[in-house]
Amino acid sequence: MNIENTQAQMRKGVLEYCILSILNNGEAYPSEIIEQLKQGKLIVVEGTLYPLLTRLKNADLLSYRWEESTSGPPRKYYQLTDKGKKFLEELATTWDDLVAAVEITRKPTKK
Amino acid sequence: MNQTLTINISGIVFHIEVDAYEALKVYLNTIKSYFNNSEEREEIMLDIEARVAEIFAEAQNDKNQVIVMADVNKVIAIMGEPEQYLTDEEEEIPAQKTHRKREDKKLFRDPDDRVLGGVASGLGAYIGLDTVWIRLFFVAAFFMGFGILTYIILWIVMPEAKTTAEKLKMRGEPINIKNIGKAFESEAQKVGEKLQNVDTNKFSSKAGTVLENIVMAIASFFTAVFNIFGKVLGIAFLFVGTFMLVVLLALLFGSTAIFSISNDGVYSMASQDFFNLIFVNQDQFYLASIAVFLLIGVPVIGLIFLSIRMLFKVRSHYSVGLTFVGLLVVGTILAFMVGTRLAVEMSAEEEFEKTEIISPDFNTYVIKTNITEMPGQGVLEDKFTSISIEGDMMYQRFVELSVERSKNDSMMITTNFSSHGKSPKDALNKAKAINYVHQLNDSILFFPDYLATNKEHKIRGQQVEITVYLPLYQSIYLDKSTKELIYDIDNFTNTYDKKMVGRKWVMLEQGLTCLDCDDIEGITSKELEELKALKMVE
Repeated sequence: MNIENTQAQMRKGVLEYCILSILNNGEAYPSEIIEQLKQGKLIVVEGTLYPLLTRLKNADLLSYRWEESTSGPPRKYYQLTDKGKKFLEELATTWDDLVAAVEITRKPTKK
Repeated sequence: MNQTLTINISGIVFHIEVDAYEALKVYLNTIKSYFNNSEEREEIMLDIEARVAEIFAEAQNDKNQVIVMADVNKVIAIMGEPEQYLTDEEEEIPAQKTHRKREDKKLFRDPDDRVLGGVASGLGAYIGLDTVWIRLFFVAAFFMGFGILTYIILWIVMPEAKTTAEKLKMRGEPINIKNIGKAFESEAQKVGEKLQNVDTNKFSSKAGTVLENIVMAIASFFTAVFNIFGKVLGIAFLFVGTFMLVVLLALLFGSTAIFSISNDGVYSMASQDFFNLIFVNQDQFYLASIAVFLLIGVPVIGLIFLSIRMLFKVRSHYSVGLTFVGLLVVGTILAFMVGTRLAVEMSAEEEFEKTEIISPDFNTYVIKTNITEMPGQGVLEDKFTSISIEGDMMYQRFVELSVERSKNDSMMITTNFSSHGKSPKDALNKAKAINYVHQLNDSILFFPDYLATNKEHKIRGQQVEITVYLPLYQSIYLDKSTKELIYDIDNFTNTYDKKMVGRKWVMLEQGLTCLDCDDIEGITSKELEELKALKMVE
């Protein structure tokens, strides 16, 4: 059993939920999303994000619009679709359940 | 000094150093190879490239306008190694790949380890055998005869491992970032070497081995030699062809053409006059002219054409060659027509003889001729004029003189006149029309070396053959002027005609014998006494 592997699995599991949560606060382009994810130490490199965003968009959870940039190529600004919002709500419920479940398991049983 | 490339990423132009470019290419290609869904892949790659462009754009300022290796490394640090791009969905596949490692080996030629085409090293990598053994096998196979062919076939069939991924596949190594990185390092090293070689090595684009460079140098040397040889040959053809064409045109349309200058002198022909002396009418003359032009002129023009092609590498339409062949065929037909007509004109041959008996008043007769110019204007000239015309008369130098033993005691001169013609009657008429007279003054026999006929009789092989019959002990002196006149005179010592002149000859039982040569051969004592009695020898 590899500790790093297990950690990575756990992070990956919540990654999609976090991305959707970030976008629930307003539209953002990948670099902004990455900034927040990095703060939360959820990802360390940007490469991971691009395939995820593309898949979420292809699943109609996200949509994007182009915006010109002064310092480089035009940027994709992602935002949640209605479907994405519903998806996020369900994920939020699941997350709450998970947190509760984890809390329960962590409490020492008083028998 | 570093070479830079100009690339376009997401619509932005960057100058990038070659090694940085190679690294970036390997990085992006590796990422790309990790995604299976092609639709997604395109989009993901575009996003990634856009981000790379953004990072590059940020890195650039007034001082740094060129993307270097450090920038690419920065991109990899920010974006992550290719493995880190993987999400759950893909992760299974590379895992499988490592299991299928052996089957995943592919047969490639190894461009990094080669003597010729990298076939041996590629095979070695595939079989898992050290390349040395494969090379030894090929050397052995070369001596057994099938080595070269096998090698060439394999060279053609086996693709070259160009990309890093292909090189890893060749060795059967899993395509992961560790191997890519390893491969990339040696790749970058090679790129550096390549760039250093640019100035000194003409063939650096292939960065080949020493042997390959030698082979290519030899090949280019021979190509150059062949090119130069071709050009020289082209110029030679052009000169010869042009010269021949000028001669031919002069021959057909000029009055006199000189077409050979040999050590015998100038050989020339007044072609118009000559043809007129051969052909019965103008039509035949024209036909013959056209035939000659086609049969000689067309190949000559072809030669000139060929030389131009060799010199300027002009491609010709196939119809050109076809036209040449067509014209040659027409020329052949015309020549055949004219030839048959001429053959008919010459079909019959007749001759008649005149005999003159000479009283043997002198022990020795001197045989002389004139080597002066023939009368009139020369039509066919070589060492001397062969044919000439003056007014209505035509002169031909077709006279031969021979010496034989007389069947009786008298000395005789027979003159044989012969000619060709379209019928025996015509031939005889032409023979009779020959005007040829010899003269006898005291002991001097004078034979002209040309015969005369009227021009209207044409050139029909008219000939005069003179035979001087000598009785026993009759001697003659062949004047030096007769060198060209005498023809194959039988003599005891088998002396050539040209060496017989300027000597005194006597007719003996054994044949004509030289009297004043250094060593008199074959004369019996009886004959010697006889000769002494005649006061011909001392």
